[in-house]
Amino acid sequence: MSIQHFPICAIMAYFLGAFLIVIFGKNRALRNVFGFLATATPLCLLAALVKPIMLGSDVIAYWMGNRVPAGGYAIGIALEVDALGLFFGLLIATAVFVAMLYSFSYMSHDDNEPQYYTLFLMLCGGVMGFVLSGDLFNMFIMIEILTFAAVALTAFRNTANGALEAAFKYLVVGCIGSSCILAGTIMLYAQAHTLNFAQLAAFLPGHLNRATIIAYAMLFIGFCTKAFIVPFHPLAADAHGAAPAPVSVLISGVLTKSGLYGIIRLTYILFRVMNLGTVQFWLVFLGSVSMFVCVTMALAQHDFKRLLAFHSISQIGYVLTAAGLATALGVSSGLYHAMNHTLFKGLLFLCAGAVLHETGTTDLGKLGGLSKKMPHTTILFLVGAFSISGVPPFNGFASKWLIYQATYQKAVESGNIGFLMCTIVALVTSTLTLASFVKVTQSVFFGQLPKEYENVGEVSIGMRLAMGILALLCILTGLFPGFVTTYLTEPAARAVFGTNTYVNAMMGTGYAQGFGLTDILPVSFQAAGVWSPISWLCLLMIMLLAVAIVAVSSKYDQVSALAKAAAAAEAAETKAGPRFGSGALAEAKNELFFGGEESVYSQVGGDDLFWGFKHNWRHYFSFMHELHSGIVNDYALWGVIALALAMLYAMIIL
Amino acid sequence: MILINYLASFFLITLGLYCIVTKHDLLKSVIGLSIMDYGVNLLIITIGFNPGGTAPIYSFGELRPESFFVDPIPQALTLTSIVIGACTTAMSLALVIKIREMYGTTDTTQIRRLRG
Amino acid sequence: MSIILDGLKYLAYILIFPGFLFCFLSGLLLCGIDRKLVARMQKRVGPPILQPFYDFFKLLGKETIIPVTANRTVFLIAPLVGLAAQVVLQLFIPVFSFNAFHGVADVIVILYLLLIPALSVILGAASSGSPYSGVGLSREMVTILAVELPLVLVLLSVAKAVGNAMGTGLCFSLTDIVNYQLSHGSLITKLSMIPAAVAMLLIIPGETGSHPFDAAEAETEICEGMLAEYSGKPLAVYKLSHAVKLLTMTTLFVALFLGGIGGGIERAMMTSAIGGAFCFLIEIIILFLLCTCLVAVCISFVHAVTARLRIEQLFKYYWTVVTGLALISLVMAWYGL
Repeated sequence: MSIQHFPICAIMAYFLGAFLIVIFGKNRALRNVFGFLATATPLCLLAALVKPIMLGSDVIAYWMGNRVPAGGYAIGIALEVDALGLFFGLLIATAVFVAMLYSFSYMSHDDNEPQYYTLFLMLCGGVMGFVLSGDLFNMFIMIEILTFAAVALTAFRNTANGALEAAFKYLVVGCIGSSCILAGTIMLYAQAHTLNFAQLAAFLPGHLNRATIIAYAMLFIGFCTKAFIVPFHPLAADAHGAAPAPVSVLISGVLTKSGLYGIIRLTYILFRVMNLGTVQFWLVFLGSVSMFVCVTMALAQHDFKRLLAFHSISQIGYVLTAAGLATALGVSSGLYHAMNHTLFKGLLFLCAGAVLHETGTTDLGKLGGLSKKMPHTTILFLVGAFSISGVPPFNGFASKWLIYQATYQKAVESGNIGFLMCTIVALVTSTLTLASFVKVTQSVFFGQLPKEYENVGEVSIGMRLAMGILALLCILTGLFPGFVTTYLTEPAARAVFGTNTYVNAMMGTGYAQGFGLTDILPVSFQAAGVWSPISWLCLLMIMLLAVAIVAVSSKYDQVSALAKAAAAAEAAETKAGPRFGSGALAEAKNELFFGGEESVYSQVGGDDLFWGFKHNWRHYFSFMHELHSGIVNDYALWGVIALALAMLYAMIIL
Repeated sequence: MILINYLASFFLITLGLYCIVTKHDLLKSVIGLSIMDYGVNLLIITIGFNPGGTAPIYSFGELRPESFFVDPIPQALTLTSIVIGACTTAMSLALVIKIREMYGTTDTTQIRRLRG
Repeated sequence: MSIILDGLKYLAYILIFPGFLFCFLSGLLLCGIDRKLVARMQKRVGPPILQPFYDFFKLLGKETIIPVTANRTVFLIAPLVGLAAQVVLQLFIPVFSFNAFHGVADVIVILYLLLIPALSVILGAASSGSPYSGVGLSREMVTILAVELPLVLVLLSVAKAVGNAMGTGLCFSLTDIVNYQLSHGSLITKLSMIPAAVAMLLIIPGETGSHPFDAAEAETEICEGMLAEYSGKPLAVYKLSHAVKLLTMTTLFVALFLGGIGGGIERAMMTSAIGGAFCFLIEIIILFLLCTCLVAVCISFVHAVTARLRIEQLFKYYWTVVTGLALISLVMAWYGL
């Protein structure tokens, strides 16, 4: 089988798996085998494409039913895989594979498992079809498939608090987005009489009139809905909070990426409007606002998954900001961050799922002290938390570091102080992210263990394996940024700027030149090196040394033998009152220190943790709380306003 | 004739959006979604429509430069879009039934457990 | 062969200068000087200057108690990681013309490395499960948030000012910043950098958690907050890492704003071979003296004359006054003043 067929096989593997599970899904073993194969096959197929496409800068154009273009017109439906599509495809395949591994044990207590896997695979197939498609209408169909699957999966545990509500809100606003995409698609068709990407990419740059620019605004808002960019962010929070953990991974790691892919494809390749300062401003503005608003919303949350959901959009804001810079460094750092986001956010959601699986709640106020019960999950969570907050040497740092440089460089090059604000917002957002993860760490994994969770245990090995894969990838992509940029993000960034290759691969050599198109390749690509890992390896070794020292020094016992005996003797007695007296001094040594009243002996709740910060921002927080009213009409209204503004802005800039 | 179609589709889309934004009832939101879908479908059909054109059914031999027919692609798109619209409605109605069972109301201002 | 030599060289950097040994000695010495100065300003006799050394070794000999509620691993590893990160941070900061590690954009790296020690204290405190630590870590995190914004602005304005002067537009490399100062004079002599320098002087007590910005460690109120449960060796490590932080912040200030002072000696000594080593020694001494002055000004003096701020006052102070100063500097640097 030649590599021409790999993309379609990758898409079909998911759909085939979905249908096979419908038929044979009653049998648990068979279902798991189909699920595993359906997710592992595309990953292998796409990994095999890395060499020709990423390194050889090949572009695969595949015509369904071999209906090749005739007379310069595309008749058939095309798949086209360039480095950008493959980059997102690989991300998706990885996230999906890990989420599937996790589902095997996570979902084993639910009923209707076959339906879950069917919807799961439909969602994956939809996203994969979306990013590999070379046809605008095909893209729309895939979007509808993935939206339906995502809505159904959000409502899958329909007894959970708010699941149905979240699904309905998502459906309504998602459908407004889908309708926008459809209307935009058909308006482009009316102008260009084609739906093929290559033809559109060749036709549109020379034909930017009112109709196409309105279509651009509509498509843009449609993709924003899928990526949950700012006016649509409450949906993400609701959907993530209600959905089962592996589905949250799909929504944040996969679905939002498809929206981003749509925005990049649309803006850079189809319309080529990224050289306009106004469009750059539009993307960067939306990105920065998403970044900041969502991170502050996340700080105010008291539900683990909802908090993660807001962070998800905040990180998407980073990607959009970087992509909006329209420099090579910007795009490649944005893609790098998109990849990292899939990895660490997937990991964090799986950790949240593990906590939910064991304790039955994700309320930060009710949890605490789980690190003693779930040590592995705690370590994995810390890896994810460090990655997302950009603590070196984890992967979030590598990409954020590039993003800061890209924004600052853009600010200096363009002389526009607005881009500098972006750098500052990005840096502050990063610290706020760290703050909210300190809050999660303190309220979930550290602090005091509530009585009702005395008996929780570590999650099953299958779930830990899935989390471990993502944690390992987080560390590897952080330690070897040079490898990632060379093999993944730079080819993808080149593909973003090399439209002619894309057009010619599909429509035949010389087609793009026939329209007088030239590649808008950036001036200098090697703008910034990746951070050198040598010094970081030193740091890592010192840290390992620290770990080793602690591991060897086993002589510190938390509870001395004397204390154990004393505790056993005192077990019968009442435990009220301070423990300094009554001959139990040995036990008191290892007890927590506290003075004064028993009521002082209480943990600071997650909500009150950053009082000093929140107090200064109280007006902002109460305003935001009012704004996120939870009423579907309000969210729809925001969407409509965003659409109207986008159209207006598009009309003005033309 | 064509202009009326465009205006009608614009009117339908706006009406649908208006309905979704202002009506505090789940069912009315669903109706709004459907109306918006019809508007978009009408837009698609209108774009492919050529006044006076024949049905686009030709074999390869019959196709001549002077043949005048309506554009077949939008019609195919409309079919797909209608199917998707029907799915949307079915799915949302299913959700509405479930929400009604759980919350005991279809008033959107009451259905806001997830907020802030 | 060269790999081994390189390895030995880096090992020497990490272990001796400007790594562990240097940090250990000068950090604790600075700490002692600070305590003595505060005491003299308050008309007390004060402890001997070597008191931090005595404290450190005494703590090493004490029993380490781990509370029953604590997560043992994190509780013990956190101090060590914090110290390691603090020392690595020191390696990134150039001492006049000498720089152990070169980075492409080490200004941002430093911004993040400054977070790790604080983060390690926070995690260690969280893992102890003590409510006092909970309060302490919450305040520490808010302090970090408060300091972060002005610090970012200060670093960006320095990067912009040097970038402007060098014609590259931006300069994220500390080595370049210091080299520029060596040949063109210290940045503090530039009008546009003075507000940034003042802001940085105000940031130093915030970062090191000294008066009046010590809400996180308020001994009289929440029993040293995050360190409430620590004893023995981990506590000694934390104390050391706090002392090194004094050194780090002051050397960072020297590198950012006073880098030109080494220039004169450099030129005078570069002629002879022995001069190189000698000049290096002198540079270290000058660096230490500068650090001492800075500690005297922005830590001891401020400590002696102010009372502790509440945490929300601290936040407000940093996000208004100090941020304002740094912003003035950034805008001035942006427009090339």
